[in-house]
Amino acid sequence: MNVEIDLTAREDVPRWLSYGTPVFTILMALAVSAVALVALDVNPIAAYSTMFLETASDELGLRQTLVKSVPLVLTGLAVYVPLRAGLWNIGAEGQLYAGAIAGTWVGLNVGAPSYVLIPLALAAAGVAGGVWAGVPGWLRARWNVNEIITTLLLTFVAIELANYMVRGPMQGGQGNFPVSALLPTAALLPDLFGTGVHAGFVVGLLAVAATYVIVTRTRVGFEVTFVGSNPAAATQAGMSTVKVYLLVFLLGGAMAGFAGVNEIAGVQGRLRPEFSPGYGFTAIPIALLGRNGAFQVLLAALFFALLFVGGSSMEVVYGVPAALIDVIQALIILFLITAEFIKSYRVDVTIEREPNDRPAGTVGEV
Amino acid sequence: MAGFVAGLLDATVRASTVLVFASLGEIISERGGVLNLGVEGMMLVGALGGFVVTVVSGSYWLGFFVAGLLGVAMALIHAFLTISLSSDQVISGIMLTLLGTGLTTFFGQEWVSESISGFPRTTLPLVGEYLVGIPVVGEALFRSTAPDFIALALIPVVWFFLFRTNLGLEIISVGEDPETADTMGVDVFRMRYLCVLIGGFFAGIAGAHLSLAFSQLWVPGMTAGRGWIAVALVIFAQWRPERALIGAYLFGLLDALKLRSQAISVQVGAETPFAGTINPALDFVMHPTIMATYPYLATILVLFVTVVRFDSEQLGVPSALLEAYSRETD
Repeated sequence: MNVEIDLTAREDVPRWLSYGTPVFTILMALAVSAVALVALDVNPIAAYSTMFLETASDELGLRQTLVKSVPLVLTGLAVYVPLRAGLWNIGAEGQLYAGAIAGTWVGLNVGAPSYVLIPLALAAAGVAGGVWAGVPGWLRARWNVNEIITTLLLTFVAIELANYMVRGPMQGGQGNFPVSALLPTAALLPDLFGTGVHAGFVVGLLAVAATYVIVTRTRVGFEVTFVGSNPAAATQAGMSTVKVYLLVFLLGGAMAGFAGVNEIAGVQGRLRPEFSPGYGFTAIPIALLGRNGAFQVLLAALFFALLFVGGSSMEVVYGVPAALIDVIQALIILFLITAEFIKSYRVDVTIEREPNDRPAGTVGEV
Repeated sequence: MAGFVAGLLDATVRASTVLVFASLGEIISERGGVLNLGVEGMMLVGALGGFVVTVVSGSYWLGFFVAGLLGVAMALIHAFLTISLSSDQVISGIMLTLLGTGLTTFFGQEWVSESISGFPRTTLPLVGEYLVGIPVVGEALFRSTAPDFIALALIPVVWFFLFRTNLGLEIISVGEDPETADTMGVDVFRMRYLCVLIGGFFAGIAGAHLSLAFSQLWVPGMTAGRGWIAVALVIFAQWRPERALIGAYLFGLLDALKLRSQAISVQVGAETPFAGTINPALDFVMHPTIMATYPYLATILVLFVTVVRFDSEQLGVPSALLEAYSRETD
């Protein structure tokens, strides 16, 4: 039997395929993850309906989804912006911690009314996150040091630094418990019109809008996209890749820093070690799913927020580890890149019963 | 002091083995032209898989071997996506790390409290007794677990395989110039699959060494970035197996220092000038959480120095790294 696979490059992508791809990949990821649920003796249909339908139809679930979406959209943008320039920031998690440390420090140590203190804490967090991403950005821009490795490794450094802070200089809980003191009321983000969603949500929306404007409506954004699609041509055209690379990392890092302080001042109330359930890593699939634009990033972040909230209610109801959502995330992207192949090529498989004679010279025998 | 040095050396060798396995695998994969950023995930899957098999079967050798096969299974996904479907190597690798982390956290919960009797420390047959007697280094180098010995032995083996066998040279040709290699009759696709799968096997046993010999327990996320350090080490090693050992020992040493930092307290006397500044500074740099950052910071530093010292040609990056190969494009 001889299986022959023919690939022909598609000239244009059928409409159903380009719209159906995201939906299809998510469904495929859920279907494969169902195997993991079955392995733990959980009915996947019941589990998924708890995860999505019950969460989305419940007021508390929706509120939590919006709250969770704040760090996700901000870190998602932190990955998305450098990705526009063709660079990988996979250390948004570390930038989030850097922002959380700086923001908490300002909140605890600066005595000022709310309307001064909150912007100040945000600014400090943005600077800290920007610096945390700026170092890898500068190393990449100036010295061509691989930014994937450096951003990721600095994440571990930031997490350990937060551990140090809550055990050392910022320790402020009862006894020797490794947490910071509670933030004063002035530093806490207010509720949005009594909805139970903190004001960080507005920060997230503003960041999406700002990113959209910068990327699509400004000269800088054009340069970023140009450098991202063809760095050699961009340099020829007189653009500075160093400037662009540094800029996207500073901008992205600042957004991840906002995510950190929003999570502390809006949800946690104090700095805790390892307070983030990996928002900065989920940011990578979010940015990949939404790589076509800032609003798509927002949509992807909302979807993953639903996944997070649904995942924890599934954990409560069925005792299934919420880590399943990590699996789902990764599978979505793995199916997405498979689908991209199907989008660009027609695959024709022909199976013949009689083995063909191999044309001479096509297979190199060693 | 000699006791402290011997102890530190011993811990260094133990901690470096995992990096030796992982970076040797990554060197083979990248030599064939495929970057594998999924090492961390493959290591985690190997660590948990090897641990579970050891608990169930009681045989750590079986666990070690199954861990390698699990690494191969993960690598097969990477190979299919990046070689057959020409997908982005970076995306596929990162997602495999995410997948491995998720899968092992998902299935690993119930195994956290299990205990095993993993690889015991032994000496080499026949000559072992005498070698262990060598002052300072003897215990560290020659009283080890079986994977420690295997890792050391693999370095010349991989070196010989890559630079002195036909297959190895074909792998290098595929990573440098796939078009020419193809014209010369080398099956580029098959060769790249081979490289990625070997890399996966090595990553799997690296993880197994961690859970079966180094820690003898399973904790989710126990690789703690070692897979990423291995990726960086490959650049430091300039894609050469023998240089990977130097890097692995360097990071093994930092790992070992971290583990021993709780036991040491260094302070200058109160009468020393600036004691008021020096002592808190010493406390800071010796704090366990700060010591924990050194392997990561050192990796970045070493990466920086390596990249600054050599341009990409001297550095020895396989020229076709990250490039998907397909016959139809010209």
